[in-house]
Amino acid sequence: MSHISDTIPLHASSQSDIDEIENLINTSIQSSSSTVLPARPPSPPRIPVSASPFIQSNLPPLQPKPQSTVQKPPSIVPSAPLPPLPPSSGNSAGGSISGTGFGSPPNTLTEPVWDTVKRDLSRIVSNLKLVVFPNPYREDPGKALRDWDLWGPFFFIVFLGLALSWSASVKKSEVFAVAFALLAAGAIILTLNVLLLGGHIIFFQSLSLLGYCLFPLVIGALVCMLKDNVIIKVIVVSVALAWSSWAAYPFMSSAVNPRRKALALYPVFLMYVSVGFLIIAID
Amino acid sequence: MDPSQAGALAFYILSALFFNSFVIIFVVTVLLAALDFWVVKNVSGRILVGLRWWNEINDLGESVWKFESLDQESLARMNKKDSWLFWWTLYITAVAWIVLGIFSLIRFQADYCLIVGVCLTLSIANIVGFTKCRKDAKKQFQQFASQTIASRVSSTIQSAFSVV
Repeated sequence: MSHISDTIPLHASSQSDIDEIENLINTSIQSSSSTVLPARPPSPPRIPVSASPFIQSNLPPLQPKPQSTVQKPPSIVPSAPLPPLPPSSGNSAGGSISGTGFGSPPNTLTEPVWDTVKRDLSRIVSNLKLVVFPNPYREDPGKALRDWDLWGPFFFIVFLGLALSWSASVKKSEVFAVAFALLAAGAIILTLNVLLLGGHIIFFQSLSLLGYCLFPLVIGALVCMLKDNVIIKVIVVSVALAWSSWAAYPFMSSAVNPRRKALALYPVFLMYVSVGFLIIAID
Repeated sequence: MDPSQAGALAFYILSALFFNSFVIIFVVTVLLAALDFWVVKNVSGRILVGLRWWNEINDLGESVWKFESLDQESLARMNKKDSWLFWWTLYITAVAWIVLGIFSLIRFQADYCLIVGVCLTLSIANIVGFTKCRKDAKKQFQQFASQTIASRVSSTIQSAFSVV
């Protein structure tokens, strides 16, 4: 049947490929309506990364996806179906799909670059909100930081290092390097600690979590940069410290055996205390 | 060479001439390297070789690596030179960072080793991700091809029987 070769769908993850193939076999055997899978226009997939505007109106209307493609956790802003809407002006930055696009099941391969940027940025913001601010998902840590990303922690660590380095009057470079190395190595070691205690946590998820919990300390460092009074610094840093520990507590404690909770939490607290001391002691 | 990868390397090498402050060198190099990592992962990978990889955590709390690739038609149509360029710049960037790391080790500059370490980690992550993605794409295509042949044979047989 020739319609199979015309309508090869874009391959999604290997998990759902089995479903895809089963669907194909079922539809071909039943010889039902042959337009289950979208037809692909035979065009080369050149996606120029120039700043040409994204021409969404040239895409053929999307057909319904037959396969269950990549499972997107609910907190990601779904960039999945590119809706056949009139082109929005926000899509004119970044790359574009040349007019003869795929018109096939939407997936992240063919989305405009601007969509990717937006998706990543919104993921950072949502992760931050989940970790640091109170919300109903906190008691279910497995669900909360489902799509970890390391961009947030990266920016926070760099920013904290910069703030510390700015406040230092001498040896600025060393302060920055020490702060960066301390935070990065500390996060890695803390994660290893949890794993070695027999905890069930994923390496990158935990790194990402510890990085996001630095956010209160970043705010504390900013405030301390502006005000130089020691007493105010101590108060601000203790508040930030308490907030960070409160943020990190549910995730860390649920990952390990209840009898070993203190063993897992104490080093985290210690690391945040040392960062707090760095902030206070810098002059 | 991919401009973002060249930018990070060039800035690192030339920065000693212009900047005295290590902090600025560190921050700008690492920022450029991170930017380059993102660009290669999301943009160049898609355009030049039609591959994309990322990691998700499923409902059971396990980490799952997801790969996406264009189907074989489009892959075959991709410019061979483009994909050759892509893979080679990936490898050459990693090698360049290793060489720079050796230089800074020889000079006993631990600070610079830190920068090189971070940039090297990013390049290696990209290499590993894309290699896995390409293998996965090949495997999927083989699976798909064999299934297509099987279904075609069975439907041909069926139609032969229905004619009779």
